[in-house]
Amino acid sequence: MAKLDNKKLMVCCANGAGSSLMMKMAVQKVMDKYKIKPADLHHCAVSDGKTAAMNYDVVFCARNFAKTFADAEKKGVTVIPLRNVMSNVEIEKALKERDLLD
Amino acid sequence: MATVLQTIVEKKHYKFIDEPVTWQEAVRLSTESLVADGSVDADYYQQIVDCITKYGPYVVFDHYVAMPHSQENAAGVHKTGIGFMVSKQVVDFGEDEDGEKKEAKLFFTLAACNPDEHLNNIQQLMGVFTNEELLDALMEANTPEDILAAEAKYPCEEM
Repeated sequence: MAKLDNKKLMVCCANGAGSSLMMKMAVQKVMDKYKIKPADLHHCAVSDGKTAAMNYDVVFCARNFAKTFADAEKKGVTVIPLRNVMSNVEIEKALKERDLLD
Repeated sequence: MATVLQTIVEKKHYKFIDEPVTWQEAVRLSTESLVADGSVDADYYQQIVDCITKYGPYVVFDHYVAMPHSQENAAGVHKTGIGFMVSKQVVDFGEDEDGEKKEAKLFFTLAACNPDEHLNNIQQLMGVFTNEELLDALMEANTPEDILAAEAKYPCEEM
């Protein structure tokens, strides 16, 4: 079983309407490439995501929102800030660095 | 089905500017074509400016691309669409928190009230934003015909 199988993933941007959707598609591409089946791939606005983050295993966000998730990170949530939210290459690299891809 | 760029041309949701402007003015100008046909209200741009002021220039991506937007179902949005603008001068959005300069010449300003149309727009825009040859050609565009010619020459992959 892949490490991220059945894990709950979340992507967040300011409004949950633009860049988070792009991030979601880019993350989905990586999941497809590695044949990973996460339990959830949720996208939302940071205002909702800040508290919801505790219920997820991995949170992706644009770099400028990383500090929003400092509390969740302390509680063991993996927070992955991205420079380019559309880059599946960057997402793949970030997951490899955290040893989350097999 | 029409591509996002074809729809932009068909609906006259485009603008070309030569003069140097502030990023706030650029965001306003990029919504003018959407205001013209009632897609958004004239003050919609202010929500976008407020959002960028609050969260930083995270709507500016690589390759001089900006995707200014507010939220889905934002006040003052009546139709889903994209206000496209080419600025011949680089528009300075300042720096992000890591000190990286954020600059744009291509604006794809989003108005969203229909989730399906909006998702389709976002999906297609991802194809445009990752097509560097097309982006280079769009930066040189001066007319709607140039937009269509650029896309015909450098078509996007299906996302």
